[in-house]
Amino acid sequence: MNGSRKTIVLAPLDPVHDVGLRLIARGLEEHGYETVCLPPDTSVEEVIDAAATLEPEAVMVGRTISYQVAEIMARLADLMDAAGLRRTCKVVLGGMAIKPELVAELGFDAGFGPGTRVEEVVAFLQGREASGATSARTAKQKLDVTLKHTYGYRDAEIGALLDSIATAALEWAATRSSPGLERARLRREMLTLTGGGDPGTELDPAARASLAQVRHEYLSRCDDATVAHYRDGTPPRAVRFLSPEEIDGITAYAARYAGPGVRTQHAPGQPLVFVQYGTGCPLMDIAHIKICEAWGADGLHHFDPTWSANSEGLPEGYLSHQDSGTVYTPEIVGLIKRCLSPSTVWTLRSHRGLNTPEVVVLAGLLGADGVRMNPVYGCLSGGTEPERMVVDGIAAMRYAAEFGLPFDVPVGHELSGVPTEKTLASLLISAALGIKVGARPILNPLFCYSPSVILSGQMEENYVDFNVARVEALRRVLDAPVRAGEPVAFMTHTGERTQSAVTTTLHAALAMSLEVDAVTIASTDEAYAGGPITAPSRTDTLIAIKEAFRFFGGTKIVPTAQAEIWTERLVEGIAETLAAVERRGDLVAALYEGLLGGREDGASPGRFGKGTVTEIG
Amino acid sequence: MATTLDRVVDALDVETFLVCETEDEGRSLAVQLVRDLGFRDVDLVFAEFMGHGIRVRVRAYVQRPGDLYPWLPGGGASAPAAGGPPEGAA
Repeated sequence: MNGSRKTIVLAPLDPVHDVGLRLIARGLEEHGYETVCLPPDTSVEEVIDAAATLEPEAVMVGRTISYQVAEIMARLADLMDAAGLRRTCKVVLGGMAIKPELVAELGFDAGFGPGTRVEEVVAFLQGREASGATSARTAKQKLDVTLKHTYGYRDAEIGALLDSIATAALEWAATRSSPGLERARLRREMLTLTGGGDPGTELDPAARASLAQVRHEYLSRCDDATVAHYRDGTPPRAVRFLSPEEIDGITAYAARYAGPGVRTQHAPGQPLVFVQYGTGCPLMDIAHIKICEAWGADGLHHFDPTWSANSEGLPEGYLSHQDSGTVYTPEIVGLIKRCLSPSTVWTLRSHRGLNTPEVVVLAGLLGADGVRMNPVYGCLSGGTEPERMVVDGIAAMRYAAEFGLPFDVPVGHELSGVPTEKTLASLLISAALGIKVGARPILNPLFCYSPSVILSGQMEENYVDFNVARVEALRRVLDAPVRAGEPVAFMTHTGERTQSAVTTTLHAALAMSLEVDAVTIASTDEAYAGGPITAPSRTDTLIAIKEAFRFFGGTKIVPTAQAEIWTERLVEGIAETLAAVERRGDLVAALYEGLLGGREDGASPGRFGKGTVTEIG
Repeated sequence: MATTLDRVVDALDVETFLVCETEDEGRSLAVQLVRDLGFRDVDLVFAEFMGHGIRVRVRAYVQRPGDLYPWLPGGGASAPAAGGPPEGAA
């Protein structure tokens, strides 16, 4: 053993702790090294003696407790120098008390903190990067959660109601059009002419002329503000154009970190974790996106601003503003896509507003992985007139089917006060419409507190039972993927970051226990309304959820018997709601008459786009 | 001249416990603390008073969405473009 180049001396300069060193020693033995472990409470002088006697390739010194660590390590460095040992062997520090600054200050060869893997130590000893091991730990693949579901109805009676409602709505919509629907077709032509919006595409004269003609047609279907944006080159109000230097800068920033990031899931079947973004500025969004990817987010939802959704027509160019929601333009969608890690699942919100089909076209042609649509939510809480929303929503679903984009079906109108059975009924109607046109819906039940639940008292006892009932009720009707949100734990957060991270994490853990396909989470800024969400608040909850997934593994959380009672009631309520809509025989009329949520529920039919639907042959 | 603050993506949070007589006093002290550090865009994110002091989280925004970010590589913080939609783009 003496004089061997493969001998490693491991010495705990610590009164008690040597577990970390022993684990490293075991791993080194498995990699062909001979190790000599000195006992705890070894003195610096004893380490020097051992190194001088054994002539190892490296001396690894561990320290867990933090007091006097700098003094002890400085003394070690001095004595190693005096003995000439630093010329003949590597000296490595490790343990809880070791910080990179100390390693650098004392000139040691390397330092390994908590969580170090044996592969990293071996790679250092062999003078190579530990890249292979890192990839094995964090490698991610983009997952399509729709593939393992049949989209078959498990409740025949409710399935028949949904089929009838969807058939009637599709027949009604088949003879109608809208400016939004026509713009979607024209946007598709423009994107095709420009090579999918690739900024490097050079257009020949014929293509430029065609583009001008199509754009002219497009603008004839836009409102005055949008037309002014195109004709005068002015950005929408309170919005500025980003400079080429800013675009280059954010592209370089994103290229520094291509991922993959931390893997949040610990056990098979744990849900994907999605984060919402939309600060108003695509550059800030991309900064946050890269941070979320690094800290383990599997997917991202883009949120657009209300003013843009309620405008006839989408702007173009690289735009930024300081309000909530980031504008959809072909350039911005393309820029964000170019900055994403390959494994990130990316969806665009399109459930409300006057540009819904066009947003799905952007998503389909510019590389998004999904969209988000619920025409009922879009008109009852999103501000869009019901007739317009249903026509545009169905057209958008057809585009989603054509582009192979799954679509989330959110039920945010429950946060306005609409009872759960009505929101779940509307969710199922949207899902049924999508299924009938060949699209793949992802059910997004609320997994949080809500006004109607506050009034009903169904979460007075705990946050578990009624959230379980929401998911189970949907599963008893339809075999489709579930993404719980939106975000999980909404309305249970406070401004206190620990509380906020804990409540998000507990809800995510419950969703994990239910084996949902994905969860959408908030940051620890969720309850703060005084300014934009910050980057550190995003890492707070991602770190917390990773820890929860590690803690629970495949463990199940057992609800009380009340969850089953509420599940049955919800299924009954869904059936009653759908029966009323089916009897009405007209989805738009049902929306106006409050069958899926009325003024008494805090929901009102929207007005944007009223009178813009036209009948066609 | 670049400063370390230029590397802050968006905001600084200061979390601490302040000894004070009342919640109002504590909230005021918390905001003043961060203003005294030289920040102007300051807000109280969280405060909880428990009789002998207050637990606070105070925020100073260094960059807000839409600003010119000095942390962008390659001089991204130059003057913004004034032009309209890119010609030929769709």
